[in-house]
Amino acid sequence: MADTTGTSVIMEPLDLVRLRLDEEVYLKLRGDRELCGRLHAYDQHLNMILGNVQETITIVDVSEQGQGQSIHTVNRNVPMLFVRGDGVILVSSPPRTA
Amino acid sequence: MSENNKPSRTSPTDFLNIIIGKRVFVRLNSGIDYKGVLSCLDGYMNIALEMTEEYVDGELRNRYGDAFIRGNNVLYISII
Repeated sequence: MADTTGTSVIMEPLDLVRLRLDEEVYLKLRGDRELCGRLHAYDQHLNMILGNVQETITIVDVSEQGQGQSIHTVNRNVPMLFVRGDGVILVSSPPRTA
Repeated sequence: MSENNKPSRTSPTDFLNIIIGKRVFVRLNSGIDYKGVLSCLDGYMNIALEMTEEYVDGELRNRYGDAFIRGNNVLYISII
């Protein structure tokens, strides 16, 4: 494979994850859950070991009074976490504002 | 890149190879949409996007420099 673009450290999508090893990652999971933590390990299923994790759960309450819905988030911290790959939707670097 | 707009017997894989490096629109099963530059994908349809914008119900929700999307969530990919 010739590297003609100069930026082709990334040859397959999983390389993006590999480049985040030992760095902070942002995960978007099924069930309106988000994780931020240090990526210690991963495999081809996207099973991951994360350290010093902050989990953010977004909860939508639908009120009976027709006021529509209110959204709130719950945070919790976990020192070490195994994430099963099939729950992963997206992997990226942590958002600047988080 | 080429001027090949004539219909031809290209396979889905050919399409995926053609759109690498272009701006694409990715819809997930959950209805969330992503726009970005497709840097690469693999046989699972795992996707690496650059300059990614995340749209929920048509509204811009997030931006990611580089984003990895797990292939099982992908509903379709189109060029924009």
